[in-house]
Amino acid sequence: MSKRMKGWALIFVMMAFFAGPSLAADEAALAKDMTSVIALLGLPCGQVVSVKRQGDNDHIASCQDGNRYRVFLNAEGRVVAQKL
Amino acid sequence: MSDSPVENRVEAQWLPAARSAGLLFLLLTAGCGGVERTPPETGVPQGEAVAVEPSITRSTDQSVAKPPAKVSGPARKREASPPLDLTTLEKRLKETDAIGVFTKIALKNQVDDLLDQFRAYYQGRIKTTLAELRQPYDLLLLKLLSLLQDRDPSLARMVVASREAIWSILADPAKFATI
Repeated sequence: MSKRMKGWALIFVMMAFFAGPSLAADEAALAKDMTSVIALLGLPCGQVVSVKRQGDNDHIASCQDGNRYRVFLNAEGRVVAQKL
Repeated sequence: MSDSPVENRVEAQWLPAARSAGLLFLLLTAGCGGVERTPPETGVPQGEAVAVEPSITRSTDQSVAKPPAKVSGPARKREASPPLDLTTLEKRLKETDAIGVFTKIALKNQVDDLLDQFRAYYQGRIKTTLAELRQPYDLLLLKLLSLLQDRDPSLARMVVASREAIWSILADPAKFATI
């Protein structure tokens, strides 16, 4: 392998190494946001443990208590949490 | 490893730059990882914070901000209550990282709903009283405070300090009409 290839490989490994925690932080922030939204709307959840992105402003949130919600922004600009 | 002398020369020039870039990247990201965000003004006692709002001096309109007059004794706390700066409050609520985007939109939805209720009340479309409307207002403020108190305490204090001033606007039909 050429030195150039080694250099690029090193950069990619480092990017992957540091991008991982950054993505995890984003996911944690999103889960916290979903937890707040669901609580604000007065729905039972506890804490959101995982969020699956479905599209722009459209997520599936899974709660600690087993409830699952589709949290999305509707056409009127309202945040809606729909129980699944 | 390449055999061509031209490629070797290019690699020799390029590798130190790649190493430097890698090191810089490492240092930058390592710095981010270790930094814990400390909330501002955590040393201020809660009781005093409600009476004296330091964050209000962060208003973008610096020409309006004046140093507080020297008043001694118990009168100081009463007179130190800041004037309501709705623009700053709105700006800080929009900019705070303590609340996520979805939560901010949901909060705005609920504020709009409450304003609709007041509008309907003043237009005589719903039969209710101001005392009854105070309950959803207080509830909404409590929700907001629960979101802010740990992650943006200075903004939480600003909301607490503005609570009655905002209510005085909502409860006055003439002032409400100007919103």
